Amino acid sequence: MILQHSDLPLTNDPAVRILPWVVGLMVYLATLTLAVALLVSTLAADWSAGLTGTVTIHIVAASDETEAEMDRRVEAAIREALKTTGVEEASAIPLSQVAKLLAPWLGDEAPIADLPLPRIVDVKLSEDADLDIDGLRARLENAVPGAALDDHQLWRDRLVRFLLAIQIVAGVMVALIGTTTVTVVVFATRAGLAVHNEVIEVLHMIGAHDEYVAGQFQSNALMLGLKGGVSGSIAGIATLLAIKSTAGQLDVELLPTLLFQYWHWPVLASLPFAAAYIVRFSARYTVLQALRRMP
Amino acid sequence: MRYGAGPEVVRDVTFALPPASFHFLTGPSGAGKSSLLRLMYLANRPSRGVVSLFGEDVSKIPRRMLPELRRSIGVVFQDFRLLDHQSVFDNVALPLRVAGGKESQIRKHVSELLQWVGLEDALDSLPSTLSGGEQQRVAIARAVIGRPRLLLADEPTGNVDDAIAVRLLYLFEELNRMGTSIVIATHNEALVSRFKHRQLHLERGEIELRQPGMDGSDDPAA
Repeated sequence: MILQHSDLPLTNDPAVRILPWVVGLMVYLATLTLAVALLVSTLAADWSAGLTGTVTIHIVAASDETEAEMDRRVEAAIREALKTTGVEEASAIPLSQVAKLLAPWLGDEAPIADLPLPRIVDVKLSEDADLDIDGLRARLENAVPGAALDDHQLWRDRLVRFLLAIQIVAGVMVALIGTTTVTVVVFATRAGLAVHNEVIEVLHMIGAHDEYVAGQFQSNALMLGLKGGVSGSIAGIATLLAIKSTAGQLDVELLPTLLFQYWHWPVLASLPFAAAYIVRFSARYTVLQALRRMP
Repeated sequence: MRYGAGPEVVRDVTFALPPASFHFLTGPSGAGKSSLLRLMYLANRPSRGVVSLFGEDVSKIPRRMLPELRRSIGVVFQDFRLLDHQSVFDNVALPLRVAGGKESQIRKHVSELLQWVGLEDALDSLPSTLSGGEQQRVAIARAVIGRPRLLLADEPTGNVDDAIAVRLLYLFEELNRMGTSIVIATHNEALVSRFKHRQLHLERGEIELRQPGMDGSDDPAA
């Protein structure tokens, strides 16, 4: 029951009045933290999907090699790749695209043509391909001097570890935020119990069950939790939208796109309700524990 | 009975109250009258000994069952203990609401009772706007609204003049005639001598039963 007749003037308690502010702040922080965890999870899946199903052949440029000779080595590598079972497509990445990838480090005006850039062949594998990586690597090294095969395993493993670490940190932060909220609620409720001790004793003496008294505290706490939580959630989501909008205006290839999935929003929007119920449960538990010490 | 680790404030007190009886609880200040009442309305548990209510040993009743037992006991506190933020109506309605009564029935019973105690015009007033005597009557109305089997009143006439005190005693007597056992702790000797009821006199840790009109002790009711 959300609204309940109240015999205790709880809404006037100073300790209780700070609850919406605390819950609001905590929900705001939790919204941002959870958003980071969800984004990281999406990025991990996105990057992993991008790397799965492809391998890359790097062909190091040799000194004094003409462009025609380099092109022949690239074509040889493509032919070798296409002969392999499980390879669906193999194509060289144009130098202009390589230059674009290097632009953040070298600048737009860098003399790409004069640099001994490696050539890259992107090899797409068919679905459920059981590619003989070691066989292809050996054949490439024999047929194309300076060619190396990268199946991204090392990169993928490091990426997964890094993203997992971020998710763990986010989880710990959400847990700390929850613990802090519960602690504040417990102390605010205890303060309320102390302030209204006489009224509680009267209720007790006229035959009120512990649940009757606890019901008044939990009902009040739920309302305050919802009030603060919804405000914090609105502020948090507004902040995320602002960051997303700002990030969208940046034309930087390295900055990962903030990819919110459609299901992220309901998850984030559910936080204030979860917080309100945590507040309600904490208040109820605190009151029941205190009342059990009464005769 | 003792408070915390303090000395025993009531000890070796043995008595029984027959159903529908009327007793004054008398004795000098500090004799333990309020403490004895607290034991009877289950605000405190005895550090030793047995308190039986309506034939049941209280110490053997599970804690979750005590609220039902407490609803059989009406208490008029010395300092009224009205809820200042609630109207007279809501104060008197409190025991019925706590017991889960229907709002339509609560309205009917509370209105009737406030008429009985002469406060029908103060339904919506806050207790703080009432006189001491009126607050006392609100406290009494709250104590009797649930038709208790036992009514305990701690100095219920301590804050009112003699005329109102007499009127309050008539209210208690009327309630007693309807079958409620009454125990009134009081210092008011004039009131005790005017209303011919038995006295439980508590002094120096001992209790004695005095019959109406008797100054000395009688057989203790064991």
